[in-house]
Amino acid sequence: MSNVNAVTFTIVVVLFVIVAGVGFAAARWRRAEDMLHLNEWGLGGRGFGTFIGWFLIGGDLYTAYTFIAVPSAVFLSGAVAGFFAVSYTIIVFPIAMIFMPRLWSVSRVHNYVTPADFIRGRYGSRGLSLAVAFTGILALMPYIALQLVGIQAVLTVMGVGTTSHNTFIRDLPLIIAFLVLAIFTALSGLRAPTMIAFIKDALVYLMIIVAVFYIPARIGGWGHIFAAGEAHMKAINPTTHKPNGVFIPTTGNSQLAFATLALGSACALFCYPHAITATLATRRRDVIKRNMSLLPLYSIMLGFIALLGYMALADQPTVASVKKAGGNAQLSVPFLFQHMYPSWFTGISFAAIVIGALVPAAIMSIAAASLFTRNIFKEFVKPDASPRLETRISQWVSFAVKLGALLFAIGLPKTFSINLQLLGGIWILQVFPALVSGLFTRWFHRWALLAGWAAGMIFGTIAAYRVATPTASHWGGSTDIEFGHTVYIGLTALLLNIAVSVAATLIFRAARAPQGADETLPHQYTADPAEAPAPAPAAAGTGAGTSGVVSD
Amino acid sequence: MTQPAVKPRNPVAAHPVTSAAIAIGIFASIFFTLWVPIYARATPKAGDFPFFYFYLLAYMPVVGIVLWIVIQLQKRLTPPSRAAASAREEAK
Repeated sequence: MSNVNAVTFTIVVVLFVIVAGVGFAAARWRRAEDMLHLNEWGLGGRGFGTFIGWFLIGGDLYTAYTFIAVPSAVFLSGAVAGFFAVSYTIIVFPIAMIFMPRLWSVSRVHNYVTPADFIRGRYGSRGLSLAVAFTGILALMPYIALQLVGIQAVLTVMGVGTTSHNTFIRDLPLIIAFLVLAIFTALSGLRAPTMIAFIKDALVYLMIIVAVFYIPARIGGWGHIFAAGEAHMKAINPTTHKPNGVFIPTTGNSQLAFATLALGSACALFCYPHAITATLATRRRDVIKRNMSLLPLYSIMLGFIALLGYMALADQPTVASVKKAGGNAQLSVPFLFQHMYPSWFTGISFAAIVIGALVPAAIMSIAAASLFTRNIFKEFVKPDASPRLETRISQWVSFAVKLGALLFAIGLPKTFSINLQLLGGIWILQVFPALVSGLFTRWFHRWALLAGWAAGMIFGTIAAYRVATPTASHWGGSTDIEFGHTVYIGLTALLLNIAVSVAATLIFRAARAPQGADETLPHQYTADPAEAPAPAPAAAGTGAGTSGVVSD
Repeated sequence: MTQPAVKPRNPVAAHPVTSAAIAIGIFASIFFTLWVPIYARATPKAGDFPFFYFYLLAYMPVVGIVLWIVIQLQKRLTPPSRAAASAREEAK
């Protein structure tokens, strides 16, 4: 710990302690009569308005990994692999505008907590619901682990623990941070990340506004920054004998890769259970819509965060530090801050990244816990579980999920977590046909959707495994070449998924396979109940009201 | 509620122009980022920003405004009784 800057370290620790205190205090915020219900613990009472919803959803979607990985991808390879994220966060809102209000309405009417709850109710299929829950948990685990990778990047640059060779001592700060997070999430539920999101967003905005105005002035202006980026992307990489990256995608193939990555990622984002959790926590249908038009404000910030990658390229000491650290591009932004700022503001910026990791990590573990409890435990193990038991189980599962992610982040090589995250995006996209088509039509057959899902999962995993680069034999990236075009694997797998679903639906319909019961009604997809559905009287010990509405 | 094609027939049939405007607003905001050749150029520069980067950054507030207009248009499709109900809820 000899080379740790005391001022930077102190500021990060103090801000972390404040946030932890807020996390514990959040249990008392907007307190409900019966906190032991998943509508309370998992969805914060389903009562957040536009203002709180903006902080919650924004703080949830833009993760610490975004702050680290997007600029590091821009730093390494420019527009196609990195800056596509900006295009992606633009189109995600019009796309979500098409189906999220409907998901909100039907979930509100039927008291659905997870996307798999909706699938269960809509298709009357336990298998399809299990597939959706399983995919959700599978995709969330590496995503949570990557929040830790984001924190690790900051800790490494701060010099915390790097001098020790003992894994446990080296990762002790990370372990402490995550234990604190796990405990307050289990106690306070969704209220904790919601309150912390205010602090996160304020710090992140402060960090990025200062970066946008201060850093270019220090290193010779935007002209110099873009020139450095362009020069680096055009330079020939000695290993691959190809240019390092793409500054502006002018060839057909790079444009297609850029567009399919953006479209695929955008379709995937609101299939992620944590994005759905934050959305269902809002009070009215209008709140979702308004947020879809207000959240692009957050994306502007992401645009500038992405450009930090070029700023890092334009600053020679940062490039040298990254090279010295074994060429780990994830350290480029933390190093840039460290070189540019006085140590107190480095502390604030680092704290922004660390706290930025806590909010999505908490929401993701809540979403994974709800999926496990509602769609696996209650569905297959204990159908008569009371809301109280559901909540207790969820609290423990959220803890276990974080522990798993921690072991993941510490025990496995970092590239492995990143590969899994890449796969997670491909996997979660395979839920899209069942979820989104289900919001508009019952035309697809439930077994056909299951077959399509399986086809997409298998194809996507194999295709991602087979992507090779000169430096890696497998998992080399998220695009591959289909019929001579460079395309995002997730999108190819999605097209295959849809094709199989359509074909199999025709077959199952011709064979008159049973359709399954649908407990939803058409008008419920546009309903806007002012009151959350009565959270099934806890005293009665019945399950939450996912059933019974239609059978009446 | 967003896609006119899937709405209950009445509001869409009653307001064909509004419904078309909603659909165009949503699909245009997706199309003009997805169709990369439109903006994959270095010039004209805006200040020091190459056009490609400037376009994407400037596009975000535009999408925000378009979606805001879409929301206002959708309110016209809502039957008056429900619109009044949600207005009362807002006032609270």
